[in-house]
Amino acid sequence: MDDPLPAVASQTRTGPDDAVDVALAQSGDPQAFERLYRMHVARVFSLARRMMGPDTAEEATQDVFVRAWEKLGSFRGEAAFGTWLHRLAVNLFLSQRTRVGRDRARLDPTDDALEHRAGRAPRPELVMDLDTAIGRLPEGARQIFVLHDVEGYKHEEIGSLLGIATGTSKAQLHRARMLLRSHLEPQAKERM
Amino acid sequence: MTNRDSWTARLSEYVDGELAADERAELERHLAACGECRTIVADLGRLRDLSGALVDREPARDLWPGISARIGGEARALPLRRRWTFTLPQLAAAAAFLLVVGAGGAAIALRDGGPAAAPGTVTIGSAEAGAVSVAFTASTSFDGAVADLERVLAERRERLDTATIRVLEHSLQTIDRALAKARAALATDPGDPYLNAHLAETMRRKLNLMRRAVTLAAAS
Repeated sequence: MDDPLPAVASQTRTGPDDAVDVALAQSGDPQAFERLYRMHVARVFSLARRMMGPDTAEEATQDVFVRAWEKLGSFRGEAAFGTWLHRLAVNLFLSQRTRVGRDRARLDPTDDALEHRAGRAPRPELVMDLDTAIGRLPEGARQIFVLHDVEGYKHEEIGSLLGIATGTSKAQLHRARMLLRSHLEPQAKERM
Repeated sequence: MTNRDSWTARLSEYVDGELAADERAELERHLAACGECRTIVADLGRLRDLSGALVDREPARDLWPGISARIGGEARALPLRRRWTFTLPQLAAAAAFLLVVGAGGAAIALRDGGPAAAPGTVTIGSAEAGAVSVAFTASTSFDGAVADLERVLAERRERLDTATIRVLEHSLQTIDRALAKARAALATDPGDPYLNAHLAETMRRKLNLMRRAVTLAAAS
């Protein structure tokens, strides 16, 4: 979990107060860990919502903080705590993606609704905000879009994380963007 | 596949600036003649802007109770106590650390109080112009952080052996001397960016050392 960190777009810096709470939490103080949770939950939850989808975001967020508690002993402070937590969250979400995707496909055959609808002219009720639209993307395209366009990862880093070729990452990103474009277009026009 | 189809697949790379110069020039020639591709490029650029402006949101309900329930048992299960001593590499790292702190303190002591910035530093303002002393602004939270760590260390002090405590206290005394010198120098020149950076770095080193000591004590 201490592997080199990618150039994440919005890294959280560890201030003096964070450092104290990390030290206290490492010594087994759950109240200090709760303060760290309050400080970073919005960041982790938003990442979970975008990478895992809204239905499982809360559970995924809890999983991240439980895992962080278990792994706190390995945090040595070389990176900011927020950066370490973010990386831990990404790795956890990616490790869960296959299982969750399989379960979701079994339970919800309309999961890839965005892609199925992409070929049709969008109806007004389908206009959605970007976060909602991201949540409707097919899993592979969604995770690559979030990592690249929202979190600032490079294609090489994504390829390494997902075990795919750089060209595959680029192709999936373009696919995600074109799907999003088709559903955000009416909304954008309304604003103009 | 038409010429437009082949270029459409490359438009994201174009927007991201990832095409080679010759490919880029060729695509731009195509864009000059293809209104649909120009529209897509504009949309992809707008989508990129929207993505960069996404705002993080808190979950609709408090997730902490669930987390607390799952870590509760472990929070009470502190590791087995054991005596802890410095290894040779740790002592070497501590010695290097003291050398750095000592050199920083010496640099301050040798300064004549002049306003010239140290090589490699950038002047961000002057006291006369009302420059803000970043390190001084952080002092309040730093003092509170140190007080918290001192309290925890005091509670766990008996878990560390005598030699470790001696090295730790010597290191803290060295850092405190460097902090005192930096603060004294800043009192006469509060806008000096070098002094501010040095004070902030020394504060950070003290916090890191204390945090490590707390961690080691907890693991002992």
